[in-house]
Amino acid sequence: MHAKVSSAQAGAAALKQAFRRHNIAAVVAMFAAALAFPFMPGVEGWMASQASLIVIYIIAAQGVSILTGYTGLVTVGHGGFLAIGAYTSALLSKFFGVDLVIGIVAGGLMAGVIGFALGLVFLRLSGAFMAIGTLGFAFFVGTVVNNVPIFEGREGISLPDNRVLGMEIGDVGFYVVSLTCLGLTTLFIYRLVHSGVGRAFMALRDSERAAESSGVNRLLFRTLSFSVSAAITGIAGALNAHIVNYVSAEVFADIWYSVDFLVATVVGGSAMMMGPFVGGVFIVMVPFFLEELADFAFIFKGVVLIGVLILAPAGIAGVLARPVQAWRARKLKALQQTGDAE
Amino acid sequence: MFGQLVLSGIATGALYALTAVAVVVVFRNTRTINLAQGDFAMIGAFAAMIFIKDLGLNYYMALALAVVTCVTLGIAFERLVMRPIADSDWLTLFTATLGMYYVLHGVAGWFWGRDTKAFPVTFDPTPIEVVGALISHGHLINMGWAAGIGLMLFLFFRYTKQGIAMRAVTDDPDTAMLMGIPVRFIVMLTWGMAGFLAAFAGVLLAPIVYVAPEMMDEVLIKGYVAAVFGGLYSIPGAILGALMIGVAENMAGGYLGSHYKTATAFAMIVVLLAFRPQGLFGIQKRREF
Repeated sequence: MHAKVSSAQAGAAALKQAFRRHNIAAVVAMFAAALAFPFMPGVEGWMASQASLIVIYIIAAQGVSILTGYTGLVTVGHGGFLAIGAYTSALLSKFFGVDLVIGIVAGGLMAGVIGFALGLVFLRLSGAFMAIGTLGFAFFVGTVVNNVPIFEGREGISLPDNRVLGMEIGDVGFYVVSLTCLGLTTLFIYRLVHSGVGRAFMALRDSERAAESSGVNRLLFRTLSFSVSAAITGIAGALNAHIVNYVSAEVFADIWYSVDFLVATVVGGSAMMMGPFVGGVFIVMVPFFLEELADFAFIFKGVVLIGVLILAPAGIAGVLARPVQAWRARKLKALQQTGDAE
Repeated sequence: MFGQLVLSGIATGALYALTAVAVVVVFRNTRTINLAQGDFAMIGAFAAMIFIKDLGLNYYMALALAVVTCVTLGIAFERLVMRPIADSDWLTLFTATLGMYYVLHGVAGWFWGRDTKAFPVTFDPTPIEVVGALISHGHLINMGWAAGIGLMLFLFFRYTKQGIAMRAVTDDPDTAMLMGIPVRFIVMLTWGMAGFLAAFAGVLLAPIVYVAPEMMDEVLIKGYVAAVFGGLYSIPGAILGALMIGVAENMAGGYLGSHYKTATAFAMIVVLLAFRPQGLFGIQKRREF
């Protein structure tokens, strides 16, 4: 009797293990396909550039999803961290001619440190107050970039060609670098979300009071979430500076980045691994296809956003995942029933 | 110089106050920061412009019709978008208003174009002297309107049944419902009031600046900051916050340079939120938000 129950349980565990392997295989296949994309026949350099832009948005949205989706703090200020990452990398590259890899790491670190500080400043905020506070931060960064001489305001800074490990790279090379960054951030977030830290974030999201009384250190995990989230968006910023080898306040002081990242996160699915991927593609491709119809692109974005919120609050990734989840649930249930029958 | 900066700051602040009060009224009854508030006003300004230009109505008729348009818009938004998701979390409500912002921006750009247009009615540009400082005719009239609306709101919330019901919903929607207050109707009324205030904000601002899809963006942001100054629950707090921000940014513009105008408002808010997260006057009533 006992042996049978545990054999059914072991079967269920094995099945869950298999599902996890399928997930990993699917993600690896997706990355392999993405990596092969620029080498396919008929794909030109500018397409690789456009694809890099999507990748950058996905990374930035991943940063937002850590704070907004997993920790439950709505941010409208991640454009600020994008700018911090971009300018850190741009200035290093301008004055010291550093390698792109070092620029990316430095951009991420700088954004992470400032994110940590902002997490401390906004320690007591949530909801609407947090949204307005982070918006204020983005404006503040924009003003600094516009007015402090070293950032050269609207004139902008032109950067030397990208070098990775001493080699000059073109559009395709840059795409490979961005995709590598995306792979690393995705792996990192997967590990994070499935660790004790990720569970602490989600506990804080679901109820700060309950989490605290179960021994979750609110101060630690809130600031940690802030800095990790900022660092990832900072990496996206560093990439964004080098995609066109030019940074200017015209682009980076714009509040719309912050809003776009939030929209990408929400439309894709704010607390799902695949959410930022769907959202990033959406937010880059809508203006791309509707280039001539900028106003219509606005309406379309708004209608899709409202439609997703009303019909599919878990985001588009949630809708896409639903049949797979249903199939898996059926399989698990069938297994349990055969266990019961025995 | 000082008196001049204060007076014109108060004049700008009075216009921010209309938006700030609308943000507070909507927030405290629906938990939502309404990002579309500025676009309601923008639609109001465009509507008034059309009523004057194409239908040949006078200013006051156009203003009245713009009010009707915006109130309808606010109520429609509540019924079609906000009500189906009323029980969702804060992020959903917030991004839904962002969706509305996109839609209204797109619609305005689609129908009327992105270029800035002059409003058909302008005020006498010669400045008037008030206690040693100069102020333009238009600003003075707007301050009068804003004060009148403030008085009206005071009377509404103090003496009418609907106003008192609205305050009851703010205090505790569940208890209000148990006491027989039609909470959903009151929430709809709240959005209608947001439209009402938006129409005035748009039509009063239009002659001073211009009419364009993005005309209200900056005002809206100042309106939020002002609302947060008052703690997001208090109408007098929001009005005072709006006047303070108007004056402070005018000071910064006068003494530091006009680049720093918007940044001043946000520097103020970041400092305030770091040290007094509940706002200057507000006691945050529902702690979970």
